[in-house]
Amino acid sequence: MNAFLTREQSASYAEFQEFAAANVEPFAGEWDRAQKIPDSAVSLLGQAGYLGACIPSEYGGKGWDVVTFGLLNEALGRSDSAFTGILTVQSMVSTAVLKWGTDEQRRKWLPPLAKGELIGAFALTEPGVGSDIQSLTTGFKPSDRDGGLILSGEKKWITCGQFAGLFLVFGKLDQKPLACLVPRNSAGLEIEPIQDLMGFRAAGLARLRFNDVAIPSASVIGKPGFGLSHVAPVGLQFGRISTACSALGLLRGCFEESTSYAASRRIGENRVGDLGMIQSLIARMGADLEAAKLLCWSACRAEDEHHHETFTRTFIAKYFTSQAAVRAASDAVQVWGASGCHESSPVARYYRGAKIMEIIEGTTQVHEVILGKGFVQAAIRKQLAQRREASS
Amino acid sequence: MTNDTNQVNETVRNFINNSINIDGLGDDENLFETGIVNSLFAVQLMTFVERSFGIEIGMEDLDVENFKSVSATAAFIRRKSPDKAAEAAVRKERETNP
Repeated sequence: MNAFLTREQSASYAEFQEFAAANVEPFAGEWDRAQKIPDSAVSLLGQAGYLGACIPSEYGGKGWDVVTFGLLNEALGRSDSAFTGILTVQSMVSTAVLKWGTDEQRRKWLPPLAKGELIGAFALTEPGVGSDIQSLTTGFKPSDRDGGLILSGEKKWITCGQFAGLFLVFGKLDQKPLACLVPRNSAGLEIEPIQDLMGFRAAGLARLRFNDVAIPSASVIGKPGFGLSHVAPVGLQFGRISTACSALGLLRGCFEESTSYAASRRIGENRVGDLGMIQSLIARMGADLEAAKLLCWSACRAEDEHHHETFTRTFIAKYFTSQAAVRAASDAVQVWGASGCHESSPVARYYRGAKIMEIIEGTTQVHEVILGKGFVQAAIRKQLAQRREASS
Repeated sequence: MTNDTNQVNETVRNFINNSINIDGLGDDENLFETGIVNSLFAVQLMTFVERSFGIEIGMEDLDVENFKSVSATAAFIRRKSPDKAAEAAVRKERETNP
């Protein structure tokens, strides 16, 4: 992988791995069992500046390129995908505010997000609306006073909802999609923790109820009508990059834990890794890991270059890597045998967490619809161009 | 129509033609009303415009009128940054006739 990175990116990656080894890896199992990440651990992310990875330095962030952001997610994802989920949603909220916020909104919200004094959460999914975001039922209506809005509705499966201080909420105003920022302490906002997920258990998911919450006009991000076409896609793009790279870290974890186990565990005179069936599992894991790395770095680089194919490349990276992580986690448990079925092993947590990577920021099936349709449309366009050329 | 106007229109037209599946799209045809673009098209067009013409699209530019057609998008680019539009036209001209 280092061949694709600059010296600075490689140095940053080494720093991220050290951070994860010291501050995440030893505690990830404990956090998973407690279904909670301690405030002190979240604070460490802020102190390291990682929560401001995507925020320019003029707002107190690191202003890193997207490849470096991807490396950060990969390094932390190796240790704990739930912990990495904080980075995911922080980047989703930050980039949406950065892109579509007013100068005043950027100056107000980005510095505390960059320092980690404020944790963001992306409130899009509803109890009855997942992949089909055009069907949102959360609604805004004009307020009788001060030109603001009143927000009513419910959101569900909101990552970091249990402890976030700021929510980027999507709904509709007269059928026009709209996004706005809602601080945690807003009157009328109820937050209900969601417990007992199969994986990603420490990511603090919550259900949100907005009971006539007053929204000042200064909290609207973008303009009415552009919430789903422009504001959400900017955040979701970073959400998918973060999730793809986090899944890549999980995949690397499965590979490293499997090869290490296979090299040391003995069955009679042989090592586990001497068995052809185990070698097959590890071969697929290793090949998937290499392929996933290339797809993830291609997606990150396309975003850095502001390439118009950045969305497609990110869909491909997330689609492939999350599925490869699920395969690898299943195979890693197989390599570890009974030991892998116990919660004391890292691969048991990987197994439960990997499946979540296939669901969040767009399910595998949604990716298939978008990518499959896109590839066929590209072929149609090619045929149209050939016809035009032939007739000219 | 000036040279840079032609070049900006052509650049935008090529991008849009490469993103949709109909032949013979008119420069004034409304992209969003006819339903010929998918849900990601709006941000893809934005990304393309920002990268190709070196301009930043912000909250104040969020207006369907700015991006509803080839002509509207090209006009937005010239309004937003006439110098960048002219530079892009010169660059394109050099690529075509080196």
